[in-house]
Order: sequence, then structure tokens, then C-alpha cells
Amino acid sequence: MKMKKKAFLVLRNNSLFIKMFLIMVISIVAVSLLITFSSIRMSSNLFMDTFSISNTEALEQIENQFEDYSFAIVGATNEVQNNGTIKKVLTQEDQNAVETSKSYHDMSRQIERIYPTVESYEANMIVLGNNERLYNVNYSNWPVSWEVLRNHPITQYTINRPNTLLYQFLPSTSFNDEPIIVATKALMERSTGEIYGVLYFPIREAQLKEFYQGYTSMENEVLLVDATGKIISSNNEEMIGEEAPDVLALAKRVDDEQLEFKDVTVFGTDYMLMSQYLPTYNMYLVNLVDKGAVLNNLINTKEILLISLGIVLLAVIVVFIISRRMTNSISRLVKQISTMAKHDFNVPVAETGGYEAKKIANAFNSMLSELQEYVDLVVLAQQKQRSAELMALQHQINPHFIYNTLASVKFMIQQGKKEKATDMIHALISLLQNALSNVDQTITVEQEITDLKNYVLINQSRYGDGIKVNFFISPDCLDCQLPKLILQPFIENAFFHAFNEKKEGFVQILVSQKGDNLMCEIVDNGDGMEIKGDHTKEDIKEKRHLFSGIGIRNVHERIQLLHGEQYGVEITSKKGEGTKIRVELPLQKTDAPVESNKITST
Amino acid sequence: MKKFYLMLVLLIGMAVLAACSSGDEEASEGSGSEGSSDVDSITIWAWDPAFNIAALEKAKEAYDGDGEYEVDVIENAQDDIIQKLNTGLSSGTTNGMPNIVLIEDYRAQSFLQAYPDAFHPLTDVINSDDFAEYKIATTSFEDEQYGLPFDSGVAALYVRTDYLEEAGYTVEDVTNITWDEYIEIGKDVKEATGKNMLTLDPNDLAPVRMMIQTNGSWYVDEDGSTPNLADNESLEKAFETYKKMMDADIAKIVSDWSQFVGAFNSGDVASVPTGNWITPSVKQAADQSGNWAVVPMPRLDMEGAVNASNLGGSSWYVLNVDGKEQAADFMLNTFGSNPDLYQTLVKEIGALGTYSPAAEGDAYAVEDEFFGGQQLITDLSAWTDEIPAVNYGLHTYAIEDILVTGMQDYLNGAELTTVLENVQGQAEAQLK
Repeated sequence: MKMKKKAFLVLRNNSLFIKMFLIMVISIVAVSLLITFSSIRMSSNLFMDTFSISNTEALEQIENQFEDYSFAIVGATNEVQNNGTIKKVLTQEDQNAVETSKSYHDMSRQIERIYPTVESYEANMIVLGNNERLYNVNYSNWPVSWEVLRNHPITQYTINRPNTLLYQFLPSTSFNDEPIIVATKALMERSTGEIYGVLYFPIREAQLKEFYQGYTSMENEVLLVDATGKIISSNNEEMIGEEAPDVLALAKRVDDEQLEFKDVTVFGTDYMLMSQYLPTYNMYLVNLVDKGAVLNNLINTKEILLISLGIVLLAVIVVFIISRRMTNSISRLVKQISTMAKHDFNVPVAETGGYEAKKIANAFNSMLSELQEYVDLVVLAQQKQRSAELMALQHQINPHFIYNTLASVKFMIQQGKKEKATDMIHALISLLQNALSNVDQTITVEQEITDLKNYVLINQSRYGDGIKVNFFISPDCLDCQLPKLILQPFIENAFFHAFNEKKEGFVQILVSQKGDNLMCEIVDNGDGMEIKGDHTKEDIKEKRHLFSGIGIRNVHERIQLLHGEQYGVEITSKKGEGTKIRVELPLQKTDAPVESNKITST
Repeated sequence: MKKFYLMLVLLIGMAVLAACSSGDEEASEGSGSEGSSDVDSITIWAWDPAFNIAALEKAKEAYDGDGEYEVDVIENAQDDIIQKLNTGLSSGTTNGMPNIVLIEDYRAQSFLQAYPDAFHPLTDVINSDDFAEYKIATTSFEDEQYGLPFDSGVAALYVRTDYLEEAGYTVEDVTNITWDEYIEIGKDVKEATGKNMLTLDPNDLAPVRMMIQTNGSWYVDEDGSTPNLADNESLEKAFETYKKMMDADIAKIVSDWSQFVGAFNSGDVASVPTGNWITPSVKQAADQSGNWAVVPMPRLDMEGAVNASNLGGSSWYVLNVDGKEQAADFMLNTFGSNPDLYQTLVKEIGALGTYSPAAEGDAYAVEDEFFGGQQLITDLSAWTDEIPAVNYGLHTYAIEDILVTGMQDYLNGAELTTVLENVQGQAEAQLK
């Protein structure tokens, strides 16, 4: 659970980095993947295009080879057809041995003359006559007897199409161990239309293969497909003799549509198929290129992938380092800012990290200090406003107070209590003097006590001595400073409200040092009161017949405003027992000038 | 710090690129030619998988020397071998030449004479006395033995005993006869059975060659190059005999090998006068087992003629190329000195060699049921020793080409002496 929380915290703290890093990594990988694959694809396509062009040319060359062979066959065929000796020998009926011998000899001379045309192709030449005559130039290439050949299907087929030179395929059989391709032509007497023999040009498939062998490889196969879809020659031995009508159909399409090449799937492999029609053979020359194998040889996909993998890794490392550095400074900044509230906005953030982070921290700090200035200004303004208010209140010395006091003085003079009147006038003068001076000024405890005594004197002179006032001032406190008129309102309050039911009592004023604080207590044994709620303010009723406009409520606020919240006024009271007011102030000696609660700023 | 990263990136990048580009540099190891003439493998060219190639495979199995080399046997058609040899040797290059080549005896001299330096002499390698005498003449040149004689071309007359019987003859009646007697028998056989006595190919004068060799004569003189046609009594006699056979109408005319084999396999002819290498072909017709016998070749009806002749046969030659010592070692170890190998060849292939010590082996004495229990190999070996040695010379086939036409002229009524003078003139003009 703790681990989870920790992990979550780490995640949250690094969320900017993680986001940035992830996006970068994904983009890098995506870009390099796309580029890699598109370049592989482009180069493959380019290669295949070039390949198809060169293969098409190769096909044309092969076609030329086939045409040359076909041309040689046609030449030899024409010679045989036009040869009177051969015709005579093939049409002769039974003779004696000498005549037969001569026929055979004559015929062999003719054929020896004609044979070289096709000999260079290592093709055989066989002449079959109806009269049991058979001339086989190179019997090792298809050793066949007259009976077998006469009744052979290819002979029948040829006789049925006497005007056409046909190329027929013979698979390997017991008497010829290799597949052969036989060009056949019926020998026909033109005038009568009688067929007097058949001419054969068997060529081993292996020899035919020579025509294109040089252009082939494992991945680049050449097939010769006849009109029935049978593969009669191929550099791939296994295919020879197979029926492949699908290849034939595709080859027809490629040739008909004049396509450069076509991507096909035959024999379970993907091939690029090129095709060329051999009209004299009525066959299709098909070139199958195994794209996958060719490209495997050409493009080292593994190497390209490795390179891009390396680049991606490098980029990721670089991105990691850089973004780590960038986000780290920002994260630090964010952390500092988020803890700002704890420091009252007065601790500036550290200006470290990258350029951007420094700028941000700098801006933030200057914003912060400006904010401080404004806050100071606002506080100052409020203080001024408060002072002005106090001043105004202070200046509103109740005229009744002065009127009543002066009236009392008049009675005293009338009664001839001249000295007493003088004291009273004296007290009033000093009271007014202090009261009307700047309210912000602090005075010593001694002065304040003097004022209070004057005030008490005036009041006692007017209302009698029912209320006794005692001062207990610790001597070490006499030179302590305190704001003006702090204690006067409480005395006034005691005089006018604490003794409404009881007519006599006493008020005791104690000033002492308590730790670092100045403790002033005003205790009376008057009526007391019920205290509800906040006992510092609301329940002390304001009366208009005050000495000045400063009420009890203001005292607390003034103290707190001047010295902070730990200071202030505390009132405890009980009905019938009296009221006890404690005023706590900081201890300030005379020589130390009073400072307002200034906000430290940098 | 930044610089450090940059360097790091560059370094890694270079390392990656270097790793990728390596592998192209695998230089092909220069396989410089070794200083010595020893080679790892020797190559042999021969034709006929059923006969020569099979014999070579047996020889490879039989080799028990301590030479460490591979033996590559390459099959080629005989014409191809002749052509390739001529092309290669005349250009003076030994590139692509085999170490050992099989050459037909009729052609051997033309090669030995044309390219004497191209062949490695075996005079000191083999013992010439171990081989049939007539083969030594054809395989040696200017007192040096070049060829290692291989198969015997000893000719024999294969006869159908059943047809002879039908005509009232026995095997004894056809043994050691003359060609004239043969023709007479042939007439009777044709009369009795309707079968021709033999096949003749007008373009192949093998019968003529066999005939004249019975009398120790050939198309050329002893020197091997001067045509010996006009005034050659043996040749005249052979021509006359040939014409007699034609006139008697006892020959079936064929034009190629398959027809030739087909004729006796199908029972169309009563006899086959040819080389002993035909034995396997004769035996192809298993239904004729017991109806065949082999007797000595008829001789020309002339003084000095013997009932022994030859047709074909070939010998091994070592070419003077790198590896000739190994090739000679292989030849000596197998065909040159191993009688057991010849036993194997006779038993399993039916190939009859000309190595005399082999004749004492058991395989040679085996009775052949196909030929009525005849000890065929023993007989053939005996006749081999009697073959008159002749120098086949350089031009056997060239002269025969001319003779074929001459024969037709003669058959069709030309005067024999004129015909022979004609061909003599042509041959001299052509072979000059």
C-alpha cells in the first residue's frame, strides 16, 4: 500500500517528464518505423521495376533463342520436304538388298547435308516413312523403332494436322529417360495431298533449357507452358510435365494485356510473373520471380531494422536526458510554488535549471515581490485609515464631559474650593493635552497612569468618592511604552456601568511584567455581567457619553492591529461579583521606538 | 556536460554504423595455385553408362592404393569427348581437360600423333605384356605406351542355333568358316526359314573392317597415314564378299543402332557378326535363351587369314596435366594390375577386358546358359589373343566415309578396281 502510494507519488511528481518522454518515444519510433518500411518498400518497388525490365529483356533474348531454333527447324523441314531423294526413298516399295542399300545410302547423304542445321542445338532428326523406312540420325537421342513411332500418338496428331509444324512434349518414359520436346511435321505430297512420311526433331528438354538456363536462378524460374497448360520445360526439374492451367491463364493475360509483369500466387508462392508468347511454338514462355527470395538477397531487412533500431535507441537516450533535465527544473519549480503558501509568499523560489525554468522562476519571484509591495501598501493604507478613524474618534471628546467638568469646576469655585478647582482644571488640561495629541504615539505607563489618575480625579470630583480607585504599578513597568488611551475606556466603563446597582466599590488597576509581556489588569467588584459569545467585543455596550470616541471594542482591535494576534484584551465577569479585564501587551521600553508590525520583504 | 552527451551520441552512432557495414569486407581467400602438381581430385571422361561408366565405378570401389584424391567420373557422349578433346588440345590449354579420358582405338592414333605432348606415357607404369597384343599396337606411339588397354573389341559370330538347325546346319558347321561359306549357309537359312542371315547398314562398313583385319590388313599402311585402298587384296576380297551378301539378298538393311538391335532381338536375323560388346544386347531377348551360340568370326577366303577379328574397343589415356601421377596411379592400381576387378567387370557388367592374367579367374570359366552353356568369356579371351594386330592409323572414319560411297558405286555396277582407285585418289587428296 505504501509502495503503491510512493509509486503514485513518483508518477505524479514526474508526470510532465513521463508525458513528454512517452510522446517523444512514440513519435520517434513511429517516424523511424514509417521511414524504414516506406524506404524498404520503395527500394523493393524500384528494384522490382528494374528487375522486371531487365527480365523482360532477358525474356526477349530467350525468345530470340527459341526463334532461332524454330527457324533452324523450319529450314531443315523445308529442305526435307523439298528433297526429291528423301521423298523417293520414303515412297519406294519393297526392293532387293542392293537397291535398299542404295536408298538408305542416298537418304543418309541427304540427311547428313540437312542435319547440321539443327545439330548445333543437339537436336535429333528422325525421318519416318510409311514403307517401314526409318532414319534416325542420332539414335541415342530417342532410340525408337518404326512400329512404336508409327503408332505413337504424336505421329497420329501430326498426320491429322499435316500443314502445321507442331511442338509436342514427351515425358520421360522407359525408353527415353529424359523428357523430350519433339518438333513434328507431316511430309505431304502437295499435288495429291498424300502423306508419305513424318519428320521429327526431338530435342532433350535439357538442351532446350540451355536457351534460358543462363538467365535463371533459384528465385528466377523460367517455364515453357504449352497450349494445354502443361509445363514442358523449366529450370526447376520438378515442375516439368506438371499441369498448370492457372499459370497458362495468367501468362495469357499478361501477354494479352501487354503487362510488364503481374504479381501472382502460384504453386503456393508469391511470384512476379512475366510472359512472352512464342507464336511458332504456340507456347508461353513464363518467367516467375520469387519476389521474397530475390528481395531477401537484395535488401538486408535485418540490417536496416538494426540501423533504425540503433538510431531510435540513441534518440530515445538523448530525449531522455534532455527532457529529464528540462522537466526536472520545471518540476522543482512547481514543487516550490506549491509549497509557497506555507511561507507566506515571502520565500522566493530558487532560480536554477534551464533557461526557461530560470526565466519562469525569475518572473515568479518578481511577481511575488511586487505582490508583497502591494500587500504592504494595502496594509499601510489600512493602518492609516485606522489611525485616521481613531484620530477622528479621539478628537470627538465628548462636549458633555468637558461641559460637566467645567460645570463642576464652577461649583467648586463658587463653593470656594479654589485648590480643588485648580487641581481639576489642571487634570482636565493635562487629560485633554494627552488625549488630543497624535493617537499613534505611545506613552509610558507612568504617563498613562497619570492620565488615568487625572480622569479618576475629575470623575471622583464630579460624582463623589463612592468608587475607590487603586493603582498597583510594578516599578519596573513605569517606563514601559504602551498605546495611548488603552486603559481609559475600561476605567470609564467601570465608573459608568459597573456600579449601577451597588453604589460603592473599588476599581483596582494592576500593571506588571509577565515574562516578555506587559500585563495590565482592571478589576472591579461591581455588578458584573453575563458574558455571551465572544467576550472581547460585542457585549460591552457602547455609550455615547464617553470621554472620547474610542470604545472598549476598539481597544482589542487596536492592540491586535499594532502588536499581533497573541496580544489583546480578555474579559472575565460574573454577575454580582465584578469584572476582570486583562490587557496583554508586548513589553516595550521607552528608548525603543515603537515599530509597527512591518511585513518583511526582500 | 552537454558536450559529453554529444560526444557519447556520436561515438555510439559511429559504433552502430561500423557494426552494420562490417561483413562486406570478407575478402575472398586467394586460392593461389599450389606449386605441386598434386590435386585433390582427378576427373575421368567416358561414355556409355551401362558399360564404361559402370566399369569406372567398379574400379573406384576396387582401388586400394594410398593415393588421397577424389575420382570424378563425368559422362559425355563419345562425339562430345572427341570434340572437346580436339578443341582443348589444339588450343594448347589444359584448362577443363580431364585427367583420364577414354578413346576409341580407331581414333587413338590420330590423337597421339596430333598431340604427342598432351598425353602422359605409361611405358614405365604398366606392363605391356599383360595385355592383348593387338591392343598395344593401337595404344602406343613411337615406342612409347600411352594407352592402358581396356575393353576387348574381339569380334565373334553370334548365331541362332534354332534357325541353323531348321536349315540343316549345326554350330560346328559355322565354326571357323570363311565368309563365302557363311553366305552359302545364309542362303539356305533364308530359304528354310525366310529369315535374313544378318543386318547391314549401308553407312557403316564394320563388316568390311572386320573382314580385312582377319587378314591383318587395314585402310592405311603400317605408317598409319598412307591410304591403302587400291591394290589392297584384302579390301578387294572384302568388297566382293560384301557385294555377294547383297546380291544373295540375305541381309536386312538397317539405318541405325536401334534397328540393328531390334532386328536380332525380334528374331529377324539368324546371325550377328560383330564385337563382343553386343553380348548384353543379345541377352536382352530373354525368350531366346538357349537358342544362341557364339563362334569365331568368319575369315576372308585368303591365304593367311585367321578366324579372329576386332570391332571397336577403347583404352584409357592419361593426359599430361596436373595430377597425372595420381591418374596413372589410379589406372595402374585398378585396370593395370587388378585381375579381380576384371572378374567383377565380366560378372556384373559383361565387360571383357584385355588384361591376360584375368583370364585365369573363375568368372571367365563360367558357363553361360543363354548361349547353351558355352564358356563364352573363355572362348572370347582365347580369340582375343589371335586377333591380327594392325595399326588403325589416323584416318579410319575419314576413309570409311569415302568408302561408303565407293561401296554404293560398286554395288550398283561399277568396276571394283576403278572404284578402289577412285577412293584411293579421293582419300589421298582429302587426307594430304
